[in-house]
Amino acid sequence: MIDLLRQSFERLRSIFRSPQLDSDLEAELASHLELAIEENIQHGMPVGEARRQALIRFGGTEQTRLLHREARALPALDMLLHDLRYAVRGLFKNPGFTIAAVLTLALGIAVNATMFSLVSAFLLRRPPVRDPERVAVVSSVNPAPAFHADASSVSAPNYLGWREANQVFEDMAAADEYRTVSLTAQNHSAAAAQPEALRSAAVSPNYFSVLGVTPQLGRPFEAGEDQPGRDHVVILSYELWDRRFAADRSLIGRTLRLNRENYTVIGVMPESFRLLGFTSQLWTPLVLTATDQTAAARKDRSLHLFARLKADATVERARAEFVTLARRAAENFPEAERGWGATVRTLPDFLVYDFEIRNALTIMMTTVAFVLMIACANVAGLLLARAAGRRKELAIRIALGAGRLRVILQLLTEGLLIALLGGAAGLLLSYWGIQFVRASLTFNEAISAVPMSLDRNVLLFAFAVSLTCALLCGLAPALNASRTDVNTNLKDEGRASSPSRSHSRLRTVMVTGQIALASFLLIGTGLLFRGIFLVEQQNLGFRADHLLTASVTLDVARYKDAPQKTLFVRDLLAQLQHIPGAETVAVASDLPATGPGSAAFRIKDQLESPTDQPLTALDVVVSRDYFQTAGIPLLRGRTFTENDNATAPSVAVVNQEFVHRHLRDQDPLGKQIRLDVSDAKSNWTEIVGVVSNVKTHSEDAREDPEIYEPFLQRPVPSLFLMVRASSDPDSLASALRGAVAQVDTELPLASVMAMPALIERQKGGDTFFVRVLGSFALLALVLAAIGIYGLVAYSVGQRTHEIGIRIALGARNPDVLRMVLREGLKMAAIGAAVGLALALPLPKVFDSMFYGFHPREPRLYFIVPAAMLAVAILATYIPARRASTVDPMIALRNN
Amino acid sequence: MAESKLDLLQGTLDLMVLQTLATMGSLHGYGIARRIEQVSGDHILLNQGTIYASLVRMQQRGWISADWGISSNNRKAKFYSITKKGRKHLSDDTAYWQRLSGVMGRVLAMQDEGGDQ
Repeated sequence: MIDLLRQSFERLRSIFRSPQLDSDLEAELASHLELAIEENIQHGMPVGEARRQALIRFGGTEQTRLLHREARALPALDMLLHDLRYAVRGLFKNPGFTIAAVLTLALGIAVNATMFSLVSAFLLRRPPVRDPERVAVVSSVNPAPAFHADASSVSAPNYLGWREANQVFEDMAAADEYRTVSLTAQNHSAAAAQPEALRSAAVSPNYFSVLGVTPQLGRPFEAGEDQPGRDHVVILSYELWDRRFAADRSLIGRTLRLNRENYTVIGVMPESFRLLGFTSQLWTPLVLTATDQTAAARKDRSLHLFARLKADATVERARAEFVTLARRAAENFPEAERGWGATVRTLPDFLVYDFEIRNALTIMMTTVAFVLMIACANVAGLLLARAAGRRKELAIRIALGAGRLRVILQLLTEGLLIALLGGAAGLLLSYWGIQFVRASLTFNEAISAVPMSLDRNVLLFAFAVSLTCALLCGLAPALNASRTDVNTNLKDEGRASSPSRSHSRLRTVMVTGQIALASFLLIGTGLLFRGIFLVEQQNLGFRADHLLTASVTLDVARYKDAPQKTLFVRDLLAQLQHIPGAETVAVASDLPATGPGSAAFRIKDQLESPTDQPLTALDVVVSRDYFQTAGIPLLRGRTFTENDNATAPSVAVVNQEFVHRHLRDQDPLGKQIRLDVSDAKSNWTEIVGVVSNVKTHSEDAREDPEIYEPFLQRPVPSLFLMVRASSDPDSLASALRGAVAQVDTELPLASVMAMPALIERQKGGDTFFVRVLGSFALLALVLAAIGIYGLVAYSVGQRTHEIGIRIALGARNPDVLRMVLREGLKMAAIGAAVGLALALPLPKVFDSMFYGFHPREPRLYFIVPAAMLAVAILATYIPARRASTVDPMIALRNN
Repeated sequence: MAESKLDLLQGTLDLMVLQTLATMGSLHGYGIARRIEQVSGDHILLNQGTIYASLVRMQQRGWISADWGISSNNRKAKFYSITKKGRKHLSDDTAYWQRLSGVMGRVLAMQDEGGDQ
């Protein structure tokens, strides 16, 4: 083995020392001959004879050199280098062909590398924690149909219970990842510094140690810092530290004012610490008190659980154990836990699943893979055409003793060279592609925070793709050419009436395949386009125009109890109403069409459904003028008034869908419901009005049952402000800020934005997605058109002679035109039919991939084939026209 | 010459060269070729040139080493000598060849006996 290695190494080395070894051998051979001649002379031969005999005995110096070279080096590598040199010469001799082939592949590889950089950035990057595969995330499984129902967060009582009971985790941490805190300027002199709303996470003290990360500056939380009194410590993200505090190292130990309270900065996390969808700017200890352990707290599911697996435990075992733990909780606390389950994923799996990008990436990668296949088919077609022109050359080489394998390898080398050139050019293009994608992908913080680059994964991928291309492009012509029949090809003077049958069949199949792929892509993209267009154009159920929005979060320090919150909202609404240009104003727990949370509830005097599935509806808390401000029409009954306050009987307004689905269209007014939420009062609530439906999300077409509660009866701390303006809503932004500051100077306003802009932002991903897919489909169409054109033009060129004969025998121009057109149309028709058949199940596939998105467009199944035929006619017409004008005399003479 | 010369079996040339170097010490290519011819009594069809391929192959395997030197009649020549590894290989291969030729001899003798029946 060692010997073999050593020999291989020596052989490899000898390739690079070839000139020196050759001259060494020359000297040795010369000395050999001299010695032989001398001996012969000593034996009495004349000089000439002595030399002749020596040479005879030696047996051919040239063979010796060859044998020597073969013995010392790697013949295969030698051959490859030789083939490469030959291929380079061939490509240089034919620059038009080379540029066309390389550019086609470069485009295909560039779009693939660019899209793969997304895969690499979002799916392949390992979370920056120690041993990420050993970190597990525990989620609740919501029995009601909800978005990502099997990745719901967990309640505090379950966290505490499961942390004690489980046998599979070394340690378990909890995090409330989506909090908002206000940061007020430290030095009050800087009046410019407005209070800033920051994304924060409240985490158990062991959070960072469970993940296995340490701050780059300062220290992590210590045990006990989750106790009231010791909990006023904060760890900053690198981004916040760098932006707001100019990366000041002396910040550690200083005090920040968060939510009106003083917190000591104890650490700064490294810049690399970023967990995909979790984009906290700071971390504070999660304090769990006695109220977090009551039965009522079971309905407040807001924690993400992170745990490190014991050395001998697996995720599967952990999953099984948590299914059992959840079942036990459901038995012990049926009221809150009925039907709820639990599941466990590894951290990388969870982050990718939670980020919900895999489906979009799958579609994009499939699309670009198809584009690449079409590009490869084009290049293979070019190579085939070229190989046909070189049949004679190949025949001569085979006749002279080149093995078929040798010929195949030679042609594959050519494909390899083109593919590598294409790969290099493609990487260059994808460098800009990635910059473009990076600049377009900014519609939310989490997406913007993910760095994208031509990283090692992308480079490896591009290289692998290039090699695949080399095989795909080179193999068909190589196999085809190696079947070259020496006799016919040498005899035939290139005058063959028409190209060999197998040859043209292969090309026909390839072009038909291209058309099928392109049709498939066009239909798929068309469906997505149509679906997204429908969503764009849909009536959301409210008036988004002239609506200015903002969000505030009322902190516990000042707004602990209900009266404080209602007082704040009363003052705020009064201030907002005074803004010049404000027509009506409102606050709500969620803005319309932004996917509010859902809650379970019961209907009085209605039989409970026997299954484990409770009734659910979207649940929004709104102030009095919400419906008027949002422009949601009232259909029956009444909306809320100032009298629906904390002391009055509980009332609610529902939407049409609620009446339809949950009350089976019975008269809803006067019906009593009870909401199953942690801070709801336990008495029955009467339905007093019905409003029309609003889409659940602006970016899909779903309409769900919805319950509206009056703010005065359920004052929630997290609020959105809405101002209906008589003019441009953006012009009221500063007045809005002023109005909030009038009520509370330390309360930060987040995302002050006109509603249309907000909806745009929610759909940002879709727009990008559709634009990218659309350009890929177009690229595929253009490439396929070029493929048809190339094939038809080539086969017409080959048949000039035959066409000349036909014309000479009396065929008229239209006959020839028709004949050639028929060829192109046949391929287009078959290809389009295959593509159509493949695309039939697509709507179902999209339904299962995208929640609440049902693209249907039967017209596409006519438009796309028609478009393909039109393109095929265009691509065929030019060569067909040329063929029909062939002068028979020239065609027959021409050779 | 009444008998035709023997073609070399695959691998035998390497063995002959090694044996020559083992008994004669350091030798140049021409010397090795002549020595083999002499010992074989000119029974072997040897293009002297072929031994150079064999020499470079064995050199790469580390069985022999080479150095430029001056021949007995004052000419510059490349001298080869066997290495320790080469000796080991030689003894392995010698044993193999002796066993093989013994077996071949017996097999062929047996065929002679039964051949005329």
